[in-house]
Parts: sequence; C-alpha cells; structure tokens
Amino acid sequence: MKMSMWVNGVNRTLDVQPLKRLLDVLREDLGLVGAKEGCGEGECGACAVILDGRLVNSCLLPAYRAHGRVVRTIEGLGTQENPDPVQAAFVAEGAVQCGYCIPGLVMASRALLDEEAVPSRPRIREALAGNLCRCTGYERVVRAVERAAQTPGRVCGTEPVANPASDLEASPGDEVFVHMPGSLRTACAELAEGGVTVVGGATDLGVLLHEEVVTPKVVLDLSRVAELHGVRREQGALVIGAATSYADLLRDPDVARDLSCLHAAVRTVGAPAIQSLGTLGGNLVNGSPGADAVPPLLALGARIRLVSNAGVREVAAEAFFTGYRATVRRADELVAAVVVPVPVAGTRQSFRKAGTRRAQAIAKVNLAACARVEDGALRGVRLAAGSVGPTVVLLREAMAILEGGLVADLERLAQAAAAAARDEVSPIDDVRSTEEYRREVTGNLVARFVVLLSNYI
Amino acid sequence: MPASSDHRSVGNPLHRLDAWDKVTGVTLFLPDQPQPGAWLGAAVRSPLPHAHLISISKTATFPAEAVLLTAPDLPCANLVAMVREDLPLLATDEIRFATQPVALVAAPDRDTLKAALAAVIVELEELPAVLGIEASLRGEGPVWGADNVVAEYRVDRGDPDAAFATAATVVEGTYYTGYQEHMYLEPHGIVATPRPDGGIEILGSLQCPYYIHNAMKRALGLDGDRVVVRQSPTGGAFGGKEDYPSILALQAAVLALRCGHPVSMIYERREDVACTTKRHPSRTRYRSAFDRDGKLLAVDVDLVLDAGAYTTLSPVVLSRGVLHVAGPYRIPHARIRGRTVATHTPPNGAFRGFGVPQAAFACERQMDRAARRLGLDPAELRRRNLLRDGDTFVFGQTLRPGMAAADLVLERVLERSGYEQRKREAHAFNADNNRGGGGPLRRGVGVTLTMHGGGFTGDGEDRIKGKAAVRLDPDGIVTLLVSSVEMGQGAATVLPQIAAEALGVPIERIRFHQPDTSEVPDSGPTVASRTTMVVGRILVAACRQLVDKARAFAGDKSADPLLDAGHAGLTATAVYEPDPDIEWDQATLHGDAYQGWSWAAAVAEVEVDTDTMEVRPVKLTHVVEIGRAVNPVLCVGQVEGGALQGLAWGHLEEMKLKDGRYWNDRMSTYIIPTSLDAPDFDVELVELPSPRGPFGAKGLGELPMNAGAPALAAAIEDALGMEVFEAPVTPEILLARRREVRR
Repeated sequence: MKMSMWVNGVNRTLDVQPLKRLLDVLREDLGLVGAKEGCGEGECGACAVILDGRLVNSCLLPAYRAHGRVVRTIEGLGTQENPDPVQAAFVAEGAVQCGYCIPGLVMASRALLDEEAVPSRPRIREALAGNLCRCTGYERVVRAVERAAQTPGRVCGTEPVANPASDLEASPGDEVFVHMPGSLRTACAELAEGGVTVVGGATDLGVLLHEEVVTPKVVLDLSRVAELHGVRREQGALVIGAATSYADLLRDPDVARDLSCLHAAVRTVGAPAIQSLGTLGGNLVNGSPGADAVPPLLALGARIRLVSNAGVREVAAEAFFTGYRATVRRADELVAAVVVPVPVAGTRQSFRKAGTRRAQAIAKVNLAACARVEDGALRGVRLAAGSVGPTVVLLREAMAILEGGLVADLERLAQAAAAAARDEVSPIDDVRSTEEYRREVTGNLVARFVVLLSNYI
Repeated sequence: MPASSDHRSVGNPLHRLDAWDKVTGVTLFLPDQPQPGAWLGAAVRSPLPHAHLISISKTATFPAEAVLLTAPDLPCANLVAMVREDLPLLATDEIRFATQPVALVAAPDRDTLKAALAAVIVELEELPAVLGIEASLRGEGPVWGADNVVAEYRVDRGDPDAAFATAATVVEGTYYTGYQEHMYLEPHGIVATPRPDGGIEILGSLQCPYYIHNAMKRALGLDGDRVVVRQSPTGGAFGGKEDYPSILALQAAVLALRCGHPVSMIYERREDVACTTKRHPSRTRYRSAFDRDGKLLAVDVDLVLDAGAYTTLSPVVLSRGVLHVAGPYRIPHARIRGRTVATHTPPNGAFRGFGVPQAAFACERQMDRAARRLGLDPAELRRRNLLRDGDTFVFGQTLRPGMAAADLVLERVLERSGYEQRKREAHAFNADNNRGGGGPLRRGVGVTLTMHGGGFTGDGEDRIKGKAAVRLDPDGIVTLLVSSVEMGQGAATVLPQIAAEALGVPIERIRFHQPDTSEVPDSGPTVASRTTMVVGRILVAACRQLVDKARAFAGDKSADPLLDAGHAGLTATAVYEPDPDIEWDQATLHGDAYQGWSWAAAVAEVEVDTDTMEVRPVKLTHVVEIGRAVNPVLCVGQVEGGALQGLAWGHLEEMKLKDGRYWNDRMSTYIIPTSLDAPDFDVELVELPSPRGPFGAKGLGELPMNAGAPALAAAIEDALGMEVFEAPVTPEILLARRREVRR
C-alpha cells in the first residue's frame, strides 16, 4: 500500500503492508524509535503519539488509518536546546526515572495541554491514565504537567492540515486489501459481497492482530463513511453515528446534558488514547458483555439502527444481543447509528462501574440506571447491567419491583430490587472477579441508585 | 535547595543527567538499537508444571536454516550458576515448572522462527503438581530435596517460652502475601554476539553485569576476558533484572555460539510475565507476648516463602526476611524460624524489598492486631516498643549512637499527616454515613513503621569486595568505572554527584561510563539498596586516590590538578574496606546484620466504597530517614514510586495461578496502578548522616516498598472495622469477609 502522512511536520510517502502497526512503521520504516512497545495491546501507552490532535496508541493503529493524517511523535516535539514546555517541566520536576514510558507520557501531556491550557489535578490524572509508569508513582509527573501548564504554547508550532479523504493506493505485494468507502451506500454494497472484515475504531483489530487470532484478507473500514459520524437531533432523540469515536462523544454537549449516563460511561472506556479511536458501533458489534457504553443504551431505551442493501431496520438495544459476543446483526448489515430517546425531564440517570482499577479497566460489574419520580411514585425505571452474564442485560425483575413503587417506601423497594437483581443475573468466575462478587455488587449498585432517588423527590 | 557551604554536589537536587535524552526520545533502549545480522532466538517451553520429558523432535517442516538445541546438544554445562547450581539451562528428564525451557531455537527472521517453533514436538507425561505453600510444607512431591525445604534460618534470643508463660497478653495471627510482578515498562531483552576468539559478548537490559559474566564463565568454561557483558539503557528492573538475565543471556549465548550469528532475544510482554520471576508469596504465623504496659516481651514467628521450583536467590531473600520480620521493635526474647519451600512454579526471585515487604506486612499487621487487643492506638503501641539508640535487635545487633531513627520518623509522620485529627475526621465521616440514608464511602487512616538494612547482609560486602575505579581523561573529565547500572533509580546521576563531591569539582567534570565488563571493575550487583551507600563509598576512596595522584603529578602549585594532570593517563581503583568493628556470624545470622539502617513511617488515608469494596488510597504521607540525601528530588521520586508499588501490592496486584501457570499474564489482566489509582504523596526526608556511607548517605531504593501495603491494610481496617490479614486484599475478599462478619 502506498501511503503518505505528515510526520513531525514532514510529508512522508511509504509503501507498507496496510495492517502494519503505525508503531512499526514509525520505528522500522521511519527510524523514529521514541515510541516504545510495552504491551502490544493498547494497555500501557508507551507507544502513544498524537494523530490529528488526539492521543492514540500507535500499537493498535493499522498503517492505512494514518494515511493522509498528521502524526506528531516525541522526536518532533522539542529538543534540549529548544524544548517543549512539557519536556522542560518533566526534567525540572524530576518526573523521569527509567524513561521507557516517558515519550508516551510526554505526548499524552502535550495532547491534554493542547486541548485544555490549565487543567485541574483530577483532569491531569484522567488524561494520563492510559500511560502506565512503574517508577514514579505519578506524583512528579502530575506536578510536571501542572508546571508545563504555566508555559503556554508548543515549540513545534501548529500542525499541517490533514487530507483525510485522500485515496489509498494498493501495492502488488499487499497481503490485505483495504476499502475505505466514503458513503454508507458503498459500504453496504461492499459488505454485501461478503468476505470482508469490518473495522470501526480498530482497537479490537489491533489486539486481535497482535494475538494472531485473525488474518483479514479484505478490510472494510468505516472510518470515512460520513453518515456514520456525529450526533444529530431527530424527533426527541439523539442519533449517534456508529463510527463516532468516544472522544467525539465525550465532547458533545448534547450527550453530556441529555444522556449523562452514557457520557459517564464513555468516560470510563479505557483511557484517552483508546477513546480517540474506539467507537460506539464497535462496542456494540463486538458484543462483549463488559462493554461500558452499552448498559446506558439499554437503560435509555435506545434503538440500534441497522442498514444493508435491503434497507433499514431498528432493534431495541436489549434485543440486539443474542448471546456471548453474538448479536442480531446479519452478515450483510452494518450498525449505522444508535437512536437514543432523550429522557423525560426529571429523569435521574446514573452509571457506575466497578472495574479492575480506576481507568484502563474492564468492568467487573457495571450498571446504568434511569428513573424519575412522579406524584410520589417511581416511573420509567430502566436498569441495565454488564459483565454479569453472557450479554449486557436489562434487570427486568428489579425494574418490575420498582416501577410504580412509592417513594415513601424507598428503602424497602431498594432492598427488594437489589435482591431481585442478584437473582436474575448470571455472572461467572473469571480472571477479573468472582461470580459471588458480581452478583452481590449488582444488587448493591441497584440499591444505591434507588436510595439516592430520595435526593430528587 | 541550595548546596551547603562544604558540599558542592551532595545534597543538591540536580536534574538527572539522563533526563533530557529521555524526554526527547533520544535514549536508545535495546529494542531501539539496530542489531545488524542478528538472528532471533526463542525457548521451547513446557506447558505443564510437572511432567516427565519423554522426547523432543522436529517435524519435516522445521526450516533447514534454523537451529534447534536440546539439553544433549548444549556446548556447555547445563546449569545457570546462582546461589546453588541446581537450575538447568534446559530441562532434561523432569519438568518442574510451567514455562520451563526444554529446547532453544534460533532463526534468521521472525517468520522462520515461528515456523521452527511450530515444528518442534515436545512429548510430555503429566505428573501431579505441588502448588502452594501448604502443599509444599506437607512434603508433597517432594519438589526439592527430601522435604521441599530449600533453605531454613533461625534466630533465637533469650527464653521465649518463659516470656509467653508470664505474659499479660498473647496475640496470635497468620498473614499472607501474594506474588508480585515487576512490570517494568521495558520487557527483558538480551543480544548475544559470538566473538572470533570463541568468546561471547552480551548486551542487554540488566542489573548485574558481573552475575551474567560469572554465569557465562561457569557454564561455557570461558575465561573472563572472553566474556563481555554490556548494559543497555534499562527501562526499569526493580529486582526483576537481577537474576533472570543470567538465564536469558546463557540461552542467547549458546544459540549464538551454535549458529555463528548474533542472537537477539527480546521478550514480548506476555512471555515476560509468564516466564520471569515474581515476588515470593509468603505465609507468616506470628505470636507476640506483651506485658501489662503493652511492651513486647517475646515473639515467636514462622515465616515461609514459596521459592518456586529451584533455589535461585530464595535463601538470600529468606535470610533478609528473617532479619526484618521482628520489625523495628525492642524484643528481649524471640524464636524466629524462616523456611523457603519448593513448589512446581517458576522460580521466584528478587523484587524491590527482597523478603522485607512480606516480613514487614506480617510484623505491622500483627502490631495493629495487638493494638486492638491492648486497647492502644497503633501509633502509641509502636512508640512504646520501637528501637532506640543502644537497643539491640533480636539477632544481636546493637544500635550505636545515631543509628536509630524509628522514633524520629514516627513522630514526624504523625505530625506531618495530622494523624490524630485525620483519624477523628474519618471516624466522624463514617459515623455520619452509618446513619440512615448515608452514602457508601468509609474513610480510614493507618500508620506503619518499617526499616530496611542497606547493603548486603552481615559480611556480604566483605565477601564480594566490590571495586570501583576512576579514570582521568585528557580533557580533565573524570570517568567513573563501576558495574552499578542506571535502571531508573538515578545511579548515573547520584554516583557522579558523590564523585564530584569527593573530587571537589563541578558535576560537569564527571562522566558516568555505561557498565561494560571489559571496561569497569566488579563493583557488585545493582541490588540491595547498596549502590549509593556501598559503591558510593568505594568510589569516594578511588576519587581521593586520584586526587592524590593528580596533585603529585601536577605539583602543589597547580590550581586545578585534575585538569593539569589530564594527559597523564591516571587511574585509581579502590576496593571495599570493611569497617573493623563489624561482628557477624552467617551460620547463626547473629551480629551486625546491616551497617546502615534506613527508617520509614507512613500514614495512609483511604476511602472504601462499601457498595463495591473498591479501595482508593487518597493520600500517603511518608517520612524516611536515609542519612544524607545525595539528591533530594531523586530521593523523593524513589519514595513515591516505591510506595505506590507497595500500595498496589496491597490491594490491586493479584497474580493468580491456574493449572500451575500465571493466569493473568498480560498487562490488561495483571493490574498495576494508573495515575487515577495513585494517591497524592507527601514525602519528607529526614537526614541523620551515617558514618558508614559516602558523605553520610544510606540505602534508599527498597525502603519505600515496605510501608505501603501494611499502611493501606491498616487504613482499610480503620475504615471498615474488619480485619485484613493479606496482601493484596481485593474487593472480592473484603466483600466475602463482610458477609462472614455479618453472619
């Protein structure tokens, strides 16, 4: 594949395998070895670079996705003689020890400060949460970012303008063919021909390629399908394009205001470098029971819009999953959008995740919940839990107990709903947690949501 | 922080000398360095923890150009020399742990290597595996020797039985700690290059160049001049690159000697986690006898470490654990027994703290349990029992004037953290939440007191007699020649600071030589918190010799003898000089165990969500006494980083075994803390200069690993009113325990 991209302000043209990792292109083809491999699965952030202004893990990104785009690596940030404020601050605060994570941490800090000039301490911790450091305890790193925030600007100046629509040119030696259609119609047509691997954000693809469990021959990449991007308002609902990244969702004011449980959930997906790439559609189609963005869709009563050559259909989010990593999506269908009704005014929304840690974590249990209080009774109760069975599930028994229940009876209702929730889920023991823990915590989170409704009476 | 009048470099918070290269991406770690002509090597491993090795064969698809080495093909003795010579390079008849190498493969490129690995057939007959300390103590197997006991040490003092018989209060407890994976960000990597003279050169990410040098000489029968070991910039180690690189380097070396090409073996994360060493799991039974005033009369301790399948460093880890398990307390009578026992798991190894975190966890949890029984605040119980100058440790070392700082760090941390007030506030917060309609959060505050002996145990430094050299170069710059490596801890900055001080020159006139056994003498390994204190001290002696030589050469009138003598080719080498007043008996572990004790007290504040039992460390106040702080900023960085490793071992980092293999062998499943999991740190350095170290410095690297887990456990206990006996204490454990308590 012939590709070109702007790397550190210079246009580079290369002929590489389309699925070669951007990390390997940088290190092997361009000799830029500042980005490191620490895990190969998007977990540690040592490979992080800035792509079109957003932090990404270059170990997860196939080369073709960088075509026409603008990449900034540690080598292009600053030098000892003319350092970026972040670099100078890392030196001054003693934020460097072994140094292996530092290129990624510096780029993550730069990406944060490019977007938010004077971030708070919690914001800094959140922005760096996908960059694991084993030496420093992070204290000096956080202080370095606080110090760098006092020196505005970046020494490498502004980036060139990306050309995200430029066509890919295949090479005779390509082991994989990549189609990046610009329209939904073309995408559906190509999908209908069969034999393609559909790629959304590419975060799963990167892990699967690393583990050598997939060998795609033809990739159908949806990242350029215009209709699949963005959030639109449509008759009392927000319609979220399936290829909308978590990063874009997080920055959407309508989602933050009207779909607060979804906003809260998206914030807990991985860490910023994962959020830059990952998409809501990918989270759905992957079908993982631990998908963090999915319980809110069930709780909000969202519908999944599927498109194919044969037409459009919508499925309720709770009916989308048929089993472990299995969905109703036919092989010729694409998830095009998620239609999320804006909840009735006064609806209380909540998302709570018990993960293996506070970021970059897979859920042990997560719960999204919606309800409102009307005339002293609970209405519109929707509870959805993840990682407690083969699919994300609606807690129907608990919902039935709560619906119409009197707020005067909230404590009893909470306990009854919690007990029902514990009974109706079917969790397992696995590497992350236990069946017992998941069952009990599901109930605890349900009870907590209900009890807290008393604050909104 | 200004330099004081008589010290130009020591005490200055200078920027790390390697910082700029690291923040600009210029530093080339091993995977960043081109290795022209290098083949790739890999091990064929047993998937089973215990098995008979029936046969190893290759199918017809084994690529012709690839190389396969099994034990009978080895061009060398089949051993990796460590404490004992029981670890084979390749298994022969019996497999004793999952991932144990049975054969080695080298190939010119990745695809050929993969094809070769896929074409090797290993036939095994599965045998029952002995897993866990309890099974090993029952003598199952046996895995090792006649009874699985790889090493045993005892410390006895006074008449503990009589003391227990007359005690006002006897407290008993059993404490458990789990594996810990180092998870240095740079995985293991070694490149071995054959030399025309039949020798071998090793380049790699490692802590102990001369350990590898020795292992090569022993196994390959080469004389020392034909083995060269060089360190590449090392992306974290924490003890994980102490012993394992000897194994990896030998594998790469025999492949390189066989195929005649350089052989590169750079691990991906999963192989690194699956195969390399971990912190030893432990079980400690602890009995303590107190008088009516809450003063310790006696302890009776049984400390057991899980060694894994071979000896490796376990006896040394054990002896350090035994010497620290009674803690920084005055105890007239003691019976301490330590054993390290074998199981069918990968050998456990060095990890920052080296047996002390396990010992400190048990000791400090026991003190908290005792405080509850005695109705005393945990800080007060410690205050009544801590060692002061003139007191004697249970193993017979008397603290000379100026050596004890337990009281100092304890009082400082209580004051600095506002311990009593924070505790009152936490309890008031909890009381509010315990009333109807309260939230799920509970807060708690815990205090812990620990110490760490710097340098090798007892006469260990005298036995290895570390050397350090300095070389005056024509430009007047002095090059430091030591085998101590920079692995993130700051040796390449701190040792130059010490040398600059000793030479009376600015730091710009010092160069740190990347460790290379053909250039630097054996200063000993980069372990045991010994680099600043011990190697620094040898370096000072070498620097003083050099100054004398330069003066003699340049004449008394020279204003800058080092500059004026630059072209004279002067060097100076110093050897470790033991202090004459040290008494030590290694057989009974009795006497002056450590020349420099460093002291630490920590106060942890936590928040626990009782809906999920997730624990959030909110703040850690950590006061350490480390003698003179050569570089205060680097010291604080060591404390913060080590403390977070300790905290995370206390609640997040759980390595699970499944069928004798590490189950969570990925970064996404073995959980280390992110920036959101780390508390705010508040660190204070207290400096009581020690006569044993250079310019008063003592050891630091491992000390901060000791306090995190017990302080966290104490704080969790304070928040929840439930006992914590184990590290890590996971949300799953806490939830199950609450259910038991409610029943």
